[in-house]
Amino acid sequence: MKAYGKLVHVELHRVRWLLAALMVLTLVIQVAALVWTARSGVADIREAETIGRSAFFSDDKLSFSWLIFNTQVLFALPILLSIAVLVLYVFLIWYRDWLGRSTFIYRLLTIPTARRNVYFAKATAVLLLILILISFQLILLPLEEWLFKLVVPSDLWEPSVFTDAILANQAFVWVIPLDGSRFLVSIGLGMAGVFALFGAILLERSYRIRGILLALLYLAACLTIVVYPLLTLGIDQTYSFLYPFEILLIELAIIIAVTLFSIWMSLRLLDKKITV
Amino acid sequence: MIEVDKVSKGFARKKVLRDVSFTVEKGQIVCLIGLNGAGKSTILKAIMGLTPIRSGRILVDGKKPDRRLYERIGYVPDHLTMPSSMRAVDALTFMEDFYPNWNASRAAELMSFFGLDFKERIGNLSKGTAAKLNLVLGLALDSDYILMDEPFSGIDLFSRERIAELFSGDMIDGRGVLLTTHEVGDIEHLIDKAVILNKGVVARSFDCDRVREEEGKSVVDMMREVLQA
Amino acid sequence: MSTGDKWVNVVFNSRDPVYSQVIRLFKERIATGRLRQGDVIPSRREIAAMLKINPNTAQKAYKEMEEQRLIVTEGNSPSRITSDMEVLRAIRTELIDGAVQAFLDSIRNIEVPIDELLERVRTKYAEESKTAVEKEKEGARGHD
Repeated sequence: MKAYGKLVHVELHRVRWLLAALMVLTLVIQVAALVWTARSGVADIREAETIGRSAFFSDDKLSFSWLIFNTQVLFALPILLSIAVLVLYVFLIWYRDWLGRSTFIYRLLTIPTARRNVYFAKATAVLLLILILISFQLILLPLEEWLFKLVVPSDLWEPSVFTDAILANQAFVWVIPLDGSRFLVSIGLGMAGVFALFGAILLERSYRIRGILLALLYLAACLTIVVYPLLTLGIDQTYSFLYPFEILLIELAIIIAVTLFSIWMSLRLLDKKITV
Repeated sequence: MIEVDKVSKGFARKKVLRDVSFTVEKGQIVCLIGLNGAGKSTILKAIMGLTPIRSGRILVDGKKPDRRLYERIGYVPDHLTMPSSMRAVDALTFMEDFYPNWNASRAAELMSFFGLDFKERIGNLSKGTAAKLNLVLGLALDSDYILMDEPFSGIDLFSRERIAELFSGDMIDGRGVLLTTHEVGDIEHLIDKAVILNKGVVARSFDCDRVREEEGKSVVDMMREVLQA
Repeated sequence: MSTGDKWVNVVFNSRDPVYSQVIRLFKERIATGRLRQGDVIPSRREIAAMLKINPNTAQKAYKEMEEQRLIVTEGNSPSRITSDMEVLRAIRTELIDGAVQAFLDSIRNIEVPIDELLERVRTKYAEESKTAVEKEKEGARGHD
């Protein structure tokens, strides 16, 4: 247990600069988008005022909710980028230890602790990275609201409900934990995917060239097992034998089973088959 | 005692190891000799559980290796396996954090023996310096056995002499040592026993002084005899 | 250990057992008087470090020397050169006889008359001792 905690620390410590870069990127893009959009919004209203009341605005005030709605792409961009980097990181977290000058995997696999600690430390590092980035976005939003208030002249500023503002962006809907169950589904599906990819990576690392084929077959099998019931049980069909809720329950059970199998297989590979 | 017993690896056509057997006793310095690709590193990795074997068994003091094995055996791979962003001191801290048998005072002693700088970044170390730090990480563990993979390869003459000195000192004394080399010349008077490996097969395994005494042959003579036959 | 510095830079040949080469080193030192009866000798660990050999080999050499009654070890005190003059004299004879035998084996084929041979040996020996002394002086100066 102690080794597990230390290993998580080691993993996070190694990725700290990547994490910092993603945070800075998010901050810079969102703040730039905020300032630019708010300014042009203010300019539009001022212009409309000089030529008389504009027909484009239902009212002539700007709210934070308006801002989030009007910065869809630019606010979502760093989030999508972070997700892309996290997917890459899932591969990097293993391959980095095999390839390159320092094959750290030699050391990781020869510390006197169960190898599952190495495995779960890496999974935990991925999860923590996701949670840290989400928390960062959560902290960033109120600061952005405050900044928005500074940029927009008080006569044009209008209050809005914070959660409404968040829901105005399609990306936030999925990653910001406003709706507990939806958030859990996002994170849960994400981690199930991470475990499946870990399994594929360890298959490749254990069997090398043959392993690539095994890994692809394995991923295809995982995907089929998860998606097939959705298609055949017919969640969108009117004459389904089962209630949608029951189908979702079956899906949940399948995903949990697939994930548990992935973990079991990965740990076995790490213990018996892995080659450095 | 480390027992490598009829260990095979690979497939029918391309065997990496074939029925390899030998032992390393505590207090004994055993050298695995062979050309590149003979399977020397693979044997060390197999002992450390870093690569699976197809058949045969490996026992350490009569027991199958488990995770506590890594406290009994220190392993010095053929290159330093610490992230290049770490400093030397971080690498030592890492070892102290994860190995209950880490001996910090011995590590400090070794660091000064080799004249290593704690603050140097691992990515900036020269090959010889990295090899020395690599040895520090393996030797500063209080372990019964030490495995060293090509500790003399690609290292300048003076570093090589410094490393060879370890074998006649307290750092090694009493432990069982298994090291590999493709060039035994430098160290042949340091080793107790030689195991000559040729294409995955143990060609000869002998007590060095006995072969000198009974056949008047050096280890290099034996190597030439086996590998050039 | 006053004799410590004299043990460094020994080069071993690779075709004779290392332990017997170590024993030979001791015998040479005894024969030349650099080690005298009753002298304390380095411990096994010390000699291993000085000669840069495996401690097991040092152990084996000492064990062998104990069996040959060349050295004696009493309890926990350090090993010493034996006080048995008989043994010490035998060593000198053994070394000389061994060297002479090797010399004779290599010279026999040339069939040199014994008087000429002895004369040659005497001249060569004198020359070499002279240069050796000079070299040692130079060496000593170099160290300063």
